[in-house]
Amino acid sequence: MKWLSDLFDSFRPQFEKRGNLAFLKPLYEAIEFIFFYPPARTATAPHVRDPLDIKRYMSIVIVALLPSICASIWFFGPRILLMILVSYAVGGLVEVIFACVRKTEIHEGFFVTGILFPLILPPATPLWVVAVGIFVGVFFGKEVFGGTGHNIFNPALVGRLFITISFPTILTSGWTAPGAWRGAVDAVSSATPMALAKTQGVLTPATDLLLGIPSGSVGETFRIGIIVGGIFLMLTRVSNWRVPVSYLVSVCVFAFVAGLFGWAPATAEGGASAFSFALFNLLGGSVLFGAMFMACCPVTSCYTLPGKYIFGIGCGVLTVLIRVFSGYVEGVMFSIVIMNSFAPLIDHVVLQMRYRSVETQGN
Amino acid sequence: MNLKETFGKKGAKTIKNGIWREHPISSATLGICSALAISNKVENAIAMSAGVIFVLILTAVIISLLRKIIPSRVRIIIYMITIASGVTIVDLVLKAYWPTVSEAMGPYVPLIITNCIIMGRAEAFFVQNPPKLALIDALANGLAYTYTLMAIAIFREIFAFGTLLGVRVTPSGWVDWVVLAAPAGAFFVLGVFLWITRTAAGIEPPKSS
Repeated sequence: MKWLSDLFDSFRPQFEKRGNLAFLKPLYEAIEFIFFYPPARTATAPHVRDPLDIKRYMSIVIVALLPSICASIWFFGPRILLMILVSYAVGGLVEVIFACVRKTEIHEGFFVTGILFPLILPPATPLWVVAVGIFVGVFFGKEVFGGTGHNIFNPALVGRLFITISFPTILTSGWTAPGAWRGAVDAVSSATPMALAKTQGVLTPATDLLLGIPSGSVGETFRIGIIVGGIFLMLTRVSNWRVPVSYLVSVCVFAFVAGLFGWAPATAEGGASAFSFALFNLLGGSVLFGAMFMACCPVTSCYTLPGKYIFGIGCGVLTVLIRVFSGYVEGVMFSIVIMNSFAPLIDHVVLQMRYRSVETQGN
Repeated sequence: MNLKETFGKKGAKTIKNGIWREHPISSATLGICSALAISNKVENAIAMSAGVIFVLILTAVIISLLRKIIPSRVRIIIYMITIASGVTIVDLVLKAYWPTVSEAMGPYVPLIITNCIIMGRAEAFFVQNPPKLALIDALANGLAYTYTLMAIAIFREIFAFGTLLGVRVTPSGWVDWVVLAAPAGAFFVLGVFLWITRTAAGIEPPKSS
């Protein structure tokens, strides 16, 4: 966080009374407020140098998501704004009701769930499905476990999973082609890269994937923006780098292994090379989005450092397994939810192994 | 109708306990398995409830009549034999007169034997009380089981199939919620049902140590 604070301090003179951008001072202060409020620091021991509370934590995640959100609106049109609005309205209602009944504060964690959820849906998802999904996600995924910080599974993924199983036809047919709403491309809908790879053995080129030319879930298409946002999250240490990095590396490694064994889909030229299959698996589908914004969720992933590596590798292995062998074209959502359920067990085993000697001495 | 006048003080208490305070599903969490598996359609739920009520009544009468002569060391075996006889009767009757329902319910009819409600009531109540009270208790518990299954089945059938007792009740644009047709989806509905009834009846969850 220090570098971010230094960055703000270096810009500050520009916005002071004699600075070039003095008229923009309210804007500067608003942005600083998002990042650094509350500013309280303790003067005496114990020293709290940087009071990073839930509100700041969550606003930084939303800032990191901004490239994806803006790109999705550019690709899929103002409809995305409606989806986000529905998600916030319905999920917020559930949150407010629970906060009132439990007499607790409304936690800012919901603002991240509410924006993540529409970003992992197909662009043409009907609004009522969005409402059902976010309701189940917030209600069954979070609140019944006791609210923010007590949930076992990522709430947005719980909602996505519920509607995926409930409405399979809607969730597999809503792939609008990016740019179709403003007439940039002729096709109205197109198959996702993962589906193309599975059914026809065609691997979409990496540059297309990075720029977001093929179709996909709302927030996952513009991959450069996801990478930038994810690295920003890691640098500000809001997300722990161990989970996303081990996730992505293991996806690469295991897709490479799968390619070597000849499990990669055959292309017209007679089989994709293991390397291109690994690269495609790293960039295609929602692996990047899942790794950067969902797997590293501090509540539902492992707390211990070795556990974080195990968590990431488990996600990677499961993702490749589901992609290669199952009937589903994409395995990111399933793999993260499955690993979520194992996270407490992994933590328990890690603690047992690491502190076994301490325990026996204590006894 | 005054419960106390009709059934006596003890009978009224038994009814209240069976239907509400000591509800077999929400309070004792018995019979969950069949409540999850058989509550996808109202038709199946009715057949299942009828079967369970019949077996409950049969067990209640037989066990409470024999309660003085059952040696306590072999009592579980006596319950099993009684319940199994009742279940066999239900199974054969269903197969003879309602073969389609029997088909739809598959192995769950023979599995009434393992329905913990019957075993639980036999051990907790029938073996200690006279036939009249045992009969009242069997009816109350059967009723509680029935209305729970009905509530879940009505919700699940409407959402998962868009029908009620096989009659379409939803508008034409309705999309079925496939997840609720599977037993996994029943966990959501049963969970909410338990939550509501437990809160309303003031049942505290067991303290975890």
